[in-house]
Amino acid sequence: MQEVLKALAEPRRQEILRLLGTSELASGEIAGHFAVSRPAISQHLQVLKAAGLVSERRLGTRHLYQARPEGLAELRAFIEGFWDDALARLAQAAEAEERRLQRDQR
Amino acid sequence: MTSAEIDYVEREVRIAARPEVVFEFFTDPLKMVRWKGVDAMLDPRPGGTYRVNVTGREVALGEYVEIVPHSRIVITWGWEGGPIAPGSTRVEFNFIPDGDGTIVRLRHSGLTGEAALQHAEGWDHFLPRLALAAAGQDPGADPWVQSESSQ
Repeated sequence: MQEVLKALAEPRRQEILRLLGTSELASGEIAGHFAVSRPAISQHLQVLKAAGLVSERRLGTRHLYQARPEGLAELRAFIEGFWDDALARLAQAAEAEERRLQRDQR
Repeated sequence: MTSAEIDYVEREVRIAARPEVVFEFFTDPLKMVRWKGVDAMLDPRPGGTYRVNVTGREVALGEYVEIVPHSRIVITWGWEGGPIAPGSTRVEFNFIPDGDGTIVRLRHSGLTGEAALQHAEGWDHFLPRLALAAAGQDPGADPWVQSESSQ
């Protein structure tokens, strides 16, 4: 999870990820979308790949990159778990309050 | 994958209590601490701030954006010094009447934005503690307090 978050914390890498979410591209094509050098893009791609957020495959001499939505599963799972716990506690507390109000009415 | 798919989380729960009963657990600090946090300061009006000490160490901080009594609340959400910066994400709660109960529908959005993730290094410290606290256990003394004061 730490690697995923570090990879995502950089705005440029978020942009690259968004780009790769809709199409599979070579690093040169990705670099064409940004005003940064190709080595810088390659470095971002390595970080994203290490975090499991993009996949790479070879086609002839070209390396093609694509986003891996599964890479974000952990972050989602944490946030979902946090709210599931909170809502379960809310249900417990509100239901106890409702029972108390009903009892007081009688 | 599009950013829209990863950007939010949705949850839903049915509660055997009326919407007006459930709603007060979001606006009354004494009721708030019965489900979330050990201490809460709430100013429940649009633009009003809230500060909820979630675990005794982790503090949730934000603003009420929209309040429709017994029906809907929108707040900004983040953790003070935590991995999600205060104000950077948004949580909508909708309270839908369901017989003599309520369906609470939650949507937490803005999660992968730049502001939300700027404290990425905070997660390793934060997650285990929050997970323990959410499960109703005391996460104990914060080891960071010691290391920060000794710096």
